[in-house]
Amino acid sequence: MATPARSATIPWDTAVELSGVWKVFSRVQRAERPSELLRSLVRPRVQEIHALRGIDLRVQKGEIVAYAGPNGAGKSTTVKLLAGLLTPDRGTVRALGMDPVHERRRYVGRIGVVFGQRTELWWDHPVWASFEWKRVVWDVPVERYDRMLDFARSVLGLEEFFNAPARELSLGQKMRAELGLALLHEPEILFLDEPTLGLDVLAKRNVLTFIKDLNREHQVTVMVTSHDMSDLEQLAGRIVMIHQGQIAFDGDFDRLRRGVADRRRLSIETETAGPAPDLPGASLVESSGARHEYVFDATRVKLTTLLEAAASQVNVRDVETHRAPIDDVIADIYEEWTRSGNSQRPSAATQ
Amino acid sequence: MSTAVKKQWPESQRHRPRPAWLLFARQCRATATMAATGQLGEGPLFLMDYLLRFLRVAVLLALWRIILSGKGEVSGMTLDGVLTYTLISEVFAEPLAGRTEIAWLLFQGDLGGRFLRPMGLVGQLVAETVGRWLVGLVLFSLPLLLLAPLLGVNSAPSSPIALGWFALSLVLAVAVGLAIDLCFGALAVAFHHNVYMVDRVRGGVTAVLSGAMLPLALLPGNLGNLFSFLPFAAMASAPLRIYTGTGPIGPLLVSQLVWAVLLWLLARWLWQVYRQKLAVHGG
Amino acid sequence: MRVLKLWRLYAWMDLTWILQDPITAVTYFISDLFVNLTLVVGALLLAERFDGIGSWSRDQVVFMLGYAILVRGIVDGIFGFNIAFISRRIGRGQLDHVLIQPQSFWLALLVDGFTPFSGLTATLPGLVLMVLAGQRLSIEVSPGWLGLFGANVLGSLGVILAFSFLWGSLAFWSPRGAEEISSSAMRMIDQLKPFPLDGVAPLLLGGLLTVVPAGFVAWYPVRALLGIAAPLPTGLVTPAAALGFLALTILVYRKGMRHYGYTGSQRYHSMGHRR
Repeated sequence: MATPARSATIPWDTAVELSGVWKVFSRVQRAERPSELLRSLVRPRVQEIHALRGIDLRVQKGEIVAYAGPNGAGKSTTVKLLAGLLTPDRGTVRALGMDPVHERRRYVGRIGVVFGQRTELWWDHPVWASFEWKRVVWDVPVERYDRMLDFARSVLGLEEFFNAPARELSLGQKMRAELGLALLHEPEILFLDEPTLGLDVLAKRNVLTFIKDLNREHQVTVMVTSHDMSDLEQLAGRIVMIHQGQIAFDGDFDRLRRGVADRRRLSIETETAGPAPDLPGASLVESSGARHEYVFDATRVKLTTLLEAAASQVNVRDVETHRAPIDDVIADIYEEWTRSGNSQRPSAATQ
Repeated sequence: MSTAVKKQWPESQRHRPRPAWLLFARQCRATATMAATGQLGEGPLFLMDYLLRFLRVAVLLALWRIILSGKGEVSGMTLDGVLTYTLISEVFAEPLAGRTEIAWLLFQGDLGGRFLRPMGLVGQLVAETVGRWLVGLVLFSLPLLLLAPLLGVNSAPSSPIALGWFALSLVLAVAVGLAIDLCFGALAVAFHHNVYMVDRVRGGVTAVLSGAMLPLALLPGNLGNLFSFLPFAAMASAPLRIYTGTGPIGPLLVSQLVWAVLLWLLARWLWQVYRQKLAVHGG
Repeated sequence: MRVLKLWRLYAWMDLTWILQDPITAVTYFISDLFVNLTLVVGALLLAERFDGIGSWSRDQVVFMLGYAILVRGIVDGIFGFNIAFISRRIGRGQLDHVLIQPQSFWLALLVDGFTPFSGLTATLPGLVLMVLAGQRLSIEVSPGWLGLFGANVLGSLGVILAFSFLWGSLAFWSPRGAEEISSSAMRMIDQLKPFPLDGVAPLLLGGLLTVVPAGFVAWYPVRALLGIAAPLPTGLVTPAAALGFLALTILVYRKGMRHYGYTGSQRYHSMGHRR
């Protein structure tokens, strides 16, 4: 398996810093029964949701950081705090040495934000018109605009739809246009909230390549959230996992894997079709004809033990082993969290 | 495999499909309830709309007093009659307007998804519309009727019999209004989803031509007579004239019935023709 | 200067939209025109039927209706894209699109909805009605009168926006419940503005100049412009009222923005955002 590319630059300064950040939302509870409707109008029940509970996070300039967690963990809240759209209830948020809320106008001129489910494009206008609009509103110098536009056009392939109205674009084209739009002013930090949502494999690859190129050639700090773990593993050198408003893990993907378990997959192909051999220490995942796939924890059972057990039961024609997809690892983590009901740290958090 | 005897429900106790009419009634009730309670949202702010409407009624009544005081009977309508007409028009404003959510659904592109429900589209729209009306009935219409004496308006119908015929006429008016709304919805699909234009035109046209805003009898020249032959008059003018005793009950009811039948047939035909276009465009 | 630059940008975008899709643009013109006319057609028909309304002659009513249409057209032309219906932007979570722009929030509100070509067409019938009625009324159009006219148009505009924003601010605290409250507020203004209010009971009239200031949208300023009341000081009341309403609105709106800074928006719907 190819080694995923990591952040190319060596970070040397702090781009983002969250210190002891708390964020609490109030949600009005709807009445469950018609008889409660009137009471709920006058005195509604309010539920407090602790989206972030004392987050401490530092991102260095030039890093690509993956920010992951189950639904409702606090990812989007963090991005909104960093984009200057929300004020923390406690703690401080600083990015590029500025307070995102109180120095908003100056700050947003130096960052780019892409929300996967929202668009900044003008619906009834061709893509280039949205780009022109941005140039004027962000007051982007012509030289910088031309340079970044050339970069975006070449890497994102905007030519094929540059003259098309945004409403006629496919999801992949729209995301490419959004990314191009976000960096026209040459931001120093890029916040990407679910940028690959709904994209096909080719579009995803293009987007990921673009982000890596951007980081390498323009030293843009990138903070990206996604549910697609394999995307994040390809992209980022560091993953921060958040659970119930707290940081549950902060490190690289290798340590994440080792911390949970060294899950691997073993595929055995037998000479003839038949029932799968019973391998103590491995769980059968899939069995079809002569091909049988297992998952096992390499820290608890050796591969050679499994192969010996298989060979003693069937005639093995072919064997293949590889690391379990990162999605399996993450799913295990989420499941463990759900079972334990609190945040679990698979390994010590790094600075 | 466990050898324990699995308990089998007797045939008679297994779930049996409900009669179609009962299922439909339950579906409508559930849908109407959702539409009604959905309006209640977060807290009492939605009541502002009703407060503003109260103010509007007060202003309209004051204006009629300015325009008609000292003029006696005008085109068969007295000042008291016009005040009653205006009040009842506001009390039943929502049913008389006959607006469903169809334009909004088309605009949002959500209409196609409605075909995934095991319930007819028309049934869904009507149930939701009625559900929303019920909220207005309780929070606005009934209080307005109770406040009528304070506003100096006699809210009583011209006679007890007129009240009964009014109820029938109101049902027919709702039928006509809903059919017109569905026709406009189909036209919106036909005009390549130019919902904005079709909806705006529909709103403007019906406001003037239905007689909800102004009694048709008080329009200049022969406009009132002309408009009374149009289907829009069956939406509001007819029931309001019956209520205030300013129109012949029989002919008005017959014209409403005829329009209701014709317009529902038209709506049905239009949707059969344009349903495919809706699906092709992705709803 | 930046305002002019941005207005030029948005005007250019508005024009290109019309030129790229003229059929859709025309349908929007027609429907907006239709709606603006139907808002006043009731009063127009009554004025025709009864040769005026109350103490106002038919031509005076027509002039007033023209003024009302003109003001509404300016609102649509300068504060389009739901700026005038600000509760929709707030309630649908669309304020974030404004907050990520590197410019003053108030500046963004002033320019974001500038659609002079598609929006200001609604002013044309208003101007026509005013000119026709003005000729029949033999209005003397002096520089002073034009100044008073301009001040009152701005005043009416300010009153409408202040009212919409004041009620629209409620959406900060109740995004779902108050999403359409600006629409309700504007609808009330639209439905009550076409009628001359002379003779209305004082309590009710007071309400129409305060709680729902529809009286300042056309009736009160036109009284001064037509000489029904003394041009001065009557002609200065609407602009003064606008300042008062705007001051109150800004106070409440800023409070709402501070609240929004802490709560953000848990809803998002793209309806009406740049489309």
